[in-house]
Formats: sequence, C-alpha cells, structure tokens
Amino acid sequence: MRRFQISHTLRILAVLVVLGIAVFPLYWMVVTALSTNADLFADKPRLVPDFSQIGVFFDALAEGKVGGWLRNSLVVAVGTTVLSVGLGIPLGYALSRFSFRGKALTTLVLLFTQMPPEALLVVPLFALFRRYNLLDSLVGLIFVNSAFVLPIVALILKGAIDGIPRELEEAGRVDGARPLAILTRINVPLIAPSIAATAVISFFHAWNEYVFAVTFIFTPAIQPASVGIANFIGELGTPIQTVMAVAFMFTLPAVLFYLFAQKYVVAGMTAGAVKG
Amino acid sequence: MSVLEQISEPRSEARRRGHNLRRRSPLGSRWTPYLFLAPGAIFILVFQAVPLVQEVYLSFTRTSLLNPTRSRWVGFDNYVKIFSDDDFHRTLFTAIIYVIACVVGAVGSGLVVALLLDKGFRGRGVARALVTVPWAAPGIAVALIATWMFNNQYGIVNRFLNAVGLGLPGGAILDSPRYALPAILVTTIWQLFPFTSVVLLSALQSVPQDLTEAATMDGAGRWATFREVTWQVIKPVVGLLALLMTIWSLRRFELIWLMTKGGPVGATKTLVIDLYSQAFDSRELGTAAAIGMVGVIISLMVITASRFVARAAEKEGIR
Amino acid sequence: MTKQRIGRSVLAATSAVLVATALAAGCTSDNGPESEDGVITVTFAASTFGDPGRGPALLDLLDEFNKSQDRIRVAAAAVPFPTFGQTVLTQMGSGLGPDLIRFDMPEFAAASEAGLLAPLDELIDVSQYNLHQQPDKFMFYDGVRYGIIFEASNYALFYNADLIPEPPKTYEEFFQIAKDLTNGDTYGLAFRQTEAEMAGVWQDIFNYVYGFGGAWSDGKNLTINNPKNLEGLLKYQELYDANVIPRGADAATFRRMFAEGKVGMEINNGGYVTATRGQNPDLNFSVAPIPFPVRAQGAILAPITINAASPAKEAAAEFITWVLQPENQVKLQEILGASSVATVTQRSAESLAETPFLTVFDELTDTSLPHVVLGFEAKTPEIRQVVVENVIAALQGTIDMKTALDRAQEQALALVS
Repeated sequence: MRRFQISHTLRILAVLVVLGIAVFPLYWMVVTALSTNADLFADKPRLVPDFSQIGVFFDALAEGKVGGWLRNSLVVAVGTTVLSVGLGIPLGYALSRFSFRGKALTTLVLLFTQMPPEALLVVPLFALFRRYNLLDSLVGLIFVNSAFVLPIVALILKGAIDGIPRELEEAGRVDGARPLAILTRINVPLIAPSIAATAVISFFHAWNEYVFAVTFIFTPAIQPASVGIANFIGELGTPIQTVMAVAFMFTLPAVLFYLFAQKYVVAGMTAGAVKG
Repeated sequence: MSVLEQISEPRSEARRRGHNLRRRSPLGSRWTPYLFLAPGAIFILVFQAVPLVQEVYLSFTRTSLLNPTRSRWVGFDNYVKIFSDDDFHRTLFTAIIYVIACVVGAVGSGLVVALLLDKGFRGRGVARALVTVPWAAPGIAVALIATWMFNNQYGIVNRFLNAVGLGLPGGAILDSPRYALPAILVTTIWQLFPFTSVVLLSALQSVPQDLTEAATMDGAGRWATFREVTWQVIKPVVGLLALLMTIWSLRRFELIWLMTKGGPVGATKTLVIDLYSQAFDSRELGTAAAIGMVGVIISLMVITASRFVARAAEKEGIR
Repeated sequence: MTKQRIGRSVLAATSAVLVATALAAGCTSDNGPESEDGVITVTFAASTFGDPGRGPALLDLLDEFNKSQDRIRVAAAAVPFPTFGQTVLTQMGSGLGPDLIRFDMPEFAAASEAGLLAPLDELIDVSQYNLHQQPDKFMFYDGVRYGIIFEASNYALFYNADLIPEPPKTYEEFFQIAKDLTNGDTYGLAFRQTEAEMAGVWQDIFNYVYGFGGAWSDGKNLTINNPKNLEGLLKYQELYDANVIPRGADAATFRRMFAEGKVGMEINNGGYVTATRGQNPDLNFSVAPIPFPVRAQGAILAPITINAASPAKEAAAEFITWVLQPENQVKLQEILGASSVATVTQRSAESLAETPFLTVFDELTDTSLPHVVLGFEAKTPEIRQVVVENVIAALQGTIDMKTALDRAQEQALALVS
C-alpha cells in the first residue's frame, strides 16, 4: 500500500513539474503583456502579472481585428481537421487491410511527402493556386494544410487499425456487411483515441501555419491569427505587450479544442461502440 | 504490421497474405480498395507531388524568385556550387546535430510525459490539456517570448542563471555561437514534446489492460511489465514517431528563422534556413531547390536505413 | 438512431457548413478590379500600416481619398512587416500582388530590374510638382521612372536630453559620452548586430561607412574593402567591443529601452520620432546631425510604386496624384513625422514649436543616400547579405574586420559578375 502511495505522490510531483515547464512561457506572455515598459527593464524582474494593466487585452480586442483573425483561424483549422481526418480514415484503412499493387510504394510515398519543407513548395503552389482560383481564400488554405497533414493522419490511423485483430471484422463480414460499414461500425470506435490524436494534429498544424497563410491571403478580412499577430511587428516598434496579449488569446482556443477533442470525441465514439 | 515492418517485408509474403484476404471477402469488389484510396491519394498528388516534381526540375535551373517562369537550364551547377562551399558542410553538420537532438529530446520527453499521464489521477484531463500549450502556441509568439526570455540584459533566463551563480558572459545566448543552438533546441523540444506525448499516450491507451494486469499478477515488476508488454505494443508507434520526427526536423524552420536567422555566424544555420535564405533573400530559386533536394535525399537515406534496421532486427528474431 | 449515426450526420452537417462558410468568406477574388457598383478597388501594401503610431493615421488618409471621390477605393493590403519583401515579391513574381506598393530601396531596385513595376511617366505627370531633387534621382532604373518618393527619412543622432545636455560634435566626443553613460543596465548607445536583423545592420553600418568618407561602390566598381570603409567599420567594432551597446538586443527592445531612458543615444531615422513619442510621451529627447567626419548618411527612401500586373493602374495613379497635391503632402508629412515627402513642403508653426528639431532632419536631405549599392542597385539584397554576414563575423571575433571586408568584396564580385 505504502509503495503505491509514494509512487502516486511522485507521479503528481513529476506531472506538476512538467506542467510548470509547459505553461511557464505562456504565463510569461501574460506577465509581459501586463508589464509596463518600465517594468520590463527594471532592476528586479516583475514575476507576477500586474492586473491593473489588463486594459491591454481589451484594447487589443477592441481594435476589432482580433476577433476576425480568430474566426478565420478557426475556419481553416476546423476545415483542415474535417477534411484530413475524413480522407485519412478510409486511406489508413485501405493501407492496413487491403492488398493492392504498389502498396509498399504508397507508404513510402506518404512518408516522402513529409520531407520537403513548406518554403520549397510555396512558389510552385502559388502558381497552381492561381490557376485554380484558390488564392486569397480560406478554402485554399484548408486544401494545402490538409495535403500536408493527410499523409501523417493516414499513417497513424493505419498503425492504429493494424493493431485491431482482423477477427473482429470477420464477424461483421460473415454477417454480410459492406466494407464501409465494417469500417465505421467496427474499426472507427476502436481507434477513437488515435482519431482524436490525428484530429488534434491536424487542428494544431492548421492553426499555427504561417508561410502559406501570409503568401496566399491578400485581403486583411480573411487573415488568420497566425498572420495577424505578425502585423503587430512593425518596422519602427513592436508593442510587445499587445503582441503577447494577442498571442495569449490565440493560444487559448487551441488548448480548449484539445480539451474538447479528448473528452467529447473519444467519449462519443467509445460509447457507441459499447452500445453496439 | 508496423509501418517499418511493412515496408521491409518481402513482396511474396505480402502477396500471399493479401490473396487470402481477398478470397475470403464475400464482396469481392476489386475496386473497393481504390475507392477508399482515391480521394486521399488524388488530393496528395495534386498538392504535394506535382509541386515537388516542379522543384526537382527547378534544382537544375537558374531561376529568379521575381520571374519564376523563366528558367535557365544549368544542369548540376547548383549542386556543384553548394557542395564546394565550405559553409555548406557546416550547415549539413548543424542540420544533423539539430535533427538528432530534436528527435531524441522530443521522443524521449514525450514518452516520459505520456507514461506520467497514462494512469489516472484527479485533474488528469486538465493536465493533459495544459501539456498541449506549447504546441498550441503560435510560432511567432513562441519566437517572440523565447527571444525576450533569452534577452542578454533583461531576460528571465539570464536573471535566473545569474541568481544561481551560473551567469553567462555578457548574458549572450542567442548571439553567442556557443549557446545559440542549445537555446534553439530547448525551445524547439519544448514546442515538440506535447505532440510526441499525445501520440504516445494514445498508443499507451491501446495497450490491453488485461495483459498488463496479468503480468503484474504473475509477479513481474514495473520495469519488466513495461519492457515485455507495454513496450512491445507501442514499439511500432515509437518507431514511426522517431521516423516522422527525423523527417520533420530536417525541415523545421520557423523558430530558427524568427529567432536567429541562422546566426550568429551560421551557428544555427540548418539546411532549411539556407534554403529559405537562398529563395527569399538571394532570390535564387534554383539553388534553393537544390538545397531542398539535398534535404529530401537525406530523408530518403534515413528511411532506407530504418528499413534495413527493421529487417535486421526481424532476422535476428528480436521482436 | 445510434450514437454513431448522430455523430456522423453532425459531422457531415458541420463540414458542409464549414465549407460553405469558407467558400463564402473566400469568394472575394473577382476577375477584375471593379465590383458590382462600378467602384474600382485598389490595394496598397505598406509596412507603415503596422506602425502603432502612424498606421491608423495613414489609414485615415486613405479614407479621406476614398471620401473625396466615389470611383476608386483604396484599401490597405494584408502584408505584415516581418516578411514584407519576400511576400510581396513572391506574389508579384507570379503575376499577382497588391496594386500599390511602398517599397524599401533594395527591393525597389530588384523589382524594377525584374520588370515587376509599371513605368510611371506615362501615368503621372510629375513636372507640375516641386520634387526634392536629390532623393528623386533614385527613382529611376535604366532611365525609366518606376517610383515616386512616399517617404524620405534621414538618419540623425537621437539623444536623451536629460542624460546628455550637449550633443557630441565629433566621433571622439561621441565615443566618450557612450562610455560615460554605460553603467549597470544603462547603455550609452545602441545599434543592431545580429543576422536576425540583417537589413537593419546594413542600415546602421551605412552611416559609419559613408560618415567616414567611404562608399560601397564608385558607381562602376565595387569598393567594399576600401580603406575608408574599414576605418568606419573599425569604429563600429570599437563601440561593440567597448560594450557600450546592449549586445544581442533587437531594435524593438533597445528602442523601448531608449524610451525608458536606459539607452542614451541612437542613430536612427526621422520616422522614429513619432514612434518614440508613442512609447513615452514624457521622454525629453532631441536630435543632432551624426557627429562623424563626413556629413553623409543613409536615408530610408521609400518609393510608392504601381504593380506592372495590376489591372487598375490608372486608378492607382490617381491615388498617387492625389497624394502629390500640396495640401495632401503636408498632411502626409504630419503623419510620417520627421520625414520628408516627395515635394518640398513648409512645416507648420505648430509642428515646429512642438518638435523644434524637425529642421535638423530636413536639412540633411541633400546629403543623404539611399541604402543601395550605387551602380548595382538591383543586386543590393545579395551584396547586403554577403557584407553583413562578414561584418558580423568580425564583430563576433571570428575574423578581423579587414579580412571580413576583403572576403565580402571577393564574394560580392562573384555575385555581380
């Protein structure tokens, strides 16, 4: 009994340390956002936020653009998540269960797509987008982000489906179910944690993406927040307090999405599986 | 089968297993696999494969960013140029160090964190959500706050180091050829560990609890349980993750670009930084493409090497 | 209905809604500049819009133009400063991009050479305006005019008048004051010195090179390693080695320090006056000419240009013509602060009373040069990179300054041949 309790306490302590490391820079963003210029260069650093400066956050919001930026980021991120997970589940399933010509090659190709850096592909993609009128649109960003994320989603889900014994599907097949139904009724609920993981991966990738967003979007009204924040970095000065305030407001929704993803999505799907 | 096993499996084996499956399927539609594959595959082809092929072509040309449609064929000139540049050798070396440190650091710390969060405790959901904060934070914001935290005169890192007697000369971190890369690595691993821990956690959660319970009941200690049960189940995921992180690290660029742009004096210049600088500062798309191809070839070599490693491990029966 | 069915239909519905929203939001790309009601939209990209002080004021100026007539609407384009040059040039290189662009000189030269800008003489008649001749000389490439000065901002010495009662008149005085003021976390001077701010380092060292009688070229040949350049840059190194600057601090940080009285002096351009006031309205600072042997310094010359691929060139030209009107030039100058504009203007008595040292800036116009390598303007970005990398290597102590300049000369020659 005692051994269990000590290791439990140790675990809690370790988790707290990890959380401290993870969250400290974010905390520091808040402290910086709420510091006056004098505070920043004082002899003794200000360690605790000065909430009398909270106006910084409201000013940033009142500017009117931050809300729009967050909305645009949300559209791109959710769109990317839906598209890449939606295409990735059948793709991963096919890679896992079916045998077809060039299967090993396909897996290699998927890995291969992760190799070239975004910077390398910006120029050709710009020409491509121009031809198909995808420039200056959030849909275009959704497409390009999904294209980058889909291979990983497919590979992760393939790995997850690999771990499900085929016998479980046999039962369904014997009952005469079509492959699509097997996929959704049997496999999907079982790989729910991996689906949630890939949803989070897709969301975060799209949420933070900058290079394509800044090159392909021309109209300020549809700028996502990743580009919007860069707007504050001016030639003659960066109001670091405002930037940090906006950065904090930009980080929160993504974290909230993760809370949602892990609780709701997983629960919803596993509940269905239990019910049969 | 894990991805690694998959791509190293001899063809005949795969075909044999595949045929069994198809014969048993009552639906027998030959097209079903392709229907499942098609939407995703087409998507990837259009948005990734086509531009990539264009880039391969570009690497053999001299093309300006300002006139990307006008290319002049120069054969292997770009490759000769970059390999005969001494600085490029340093860039390659820095890139490799960066990759190894990132992968080991991110996968290692991700595994530790995933293990910590695997068992239940009060507030675990909140803890899991908070752990994703570094990942959720936008790159520009991370670069800005990290640069401020590392500031020579006023940064909290220097203040702390001075307070515990480990002060650095002049507080130089990001502008010191010695400490710039470690600082970037620390920041990068901080950004990466939530991703690796999320993936590893989902893998840990699929470890069948009855197996671990059986092992414990059989009297196995925690370490033995981990080694024989848990590790066996998550090994494929760790392998895939390490592979992915390696390939990704070869192209990570935002943090370095925003914090040091490859300086000081090339101390943090990786392949991608060089590529970006060639493309957008020097406006030489051809040279940039060539550097990009070098990175891709390195990734290919990594994947091939991992294939051999997996096959060798299989042959020796280490499973 | 099972939970999965509900889940699936929710998923389907959500995706449909999202795609619809995205499509609706994204459907702003039309084929021509005209919208349904016949109003031509012209986009204007300028890094100034991101300035906390001057950005909103500049937007107000655009509003004024829009209200003054109802055929053309000028809107700010969405290009943030950190990646301004590369974003705009990528877009323009592929035949798109904003209609109007405020460039910095190195990018202006590169864009002119690549044929990305529209020749302006056919669109605007500049003969009727009293242009500042010296800066206007740089608006041409191959004899064709591609830009009109939007802002000309000369470099001068900013100093904290509380800490420094009398500004230095020679380099020796300058060095001494910098040393005397450096104490603890207060510094006498500040300038940029990292690769992360390469363009800024180029601007900073320009003043030292030309202020000691040097030059990057003589118009025909590169003279990067000429002895006068070495002399000026050795002074730069001297200040760096003497630790009178906050090393590693980026411009945003040390300018904030200046506003807080933690930095005594800074060599900066006129646009900075408004920014400093914005950071700290109570700061008692003043401006003097740079105390180097030769009265020659850099200037931010920012031309406004028209995209050669723009479908609305005449409308864009109309905006520029409107800005060139005398009363609007005065307004623009008020917004920009201590900079000059394209035409010769008279400052109002109030602005002079508020900022007596405005005249210091104005008097420097004829001795100011843009940050380009004369005779090699379009290659300036590449030459800049080579020079700055080597200078920073010297500052870091990897090589000495003479070797650095010799190497830079060699590498730059290879680039331009």
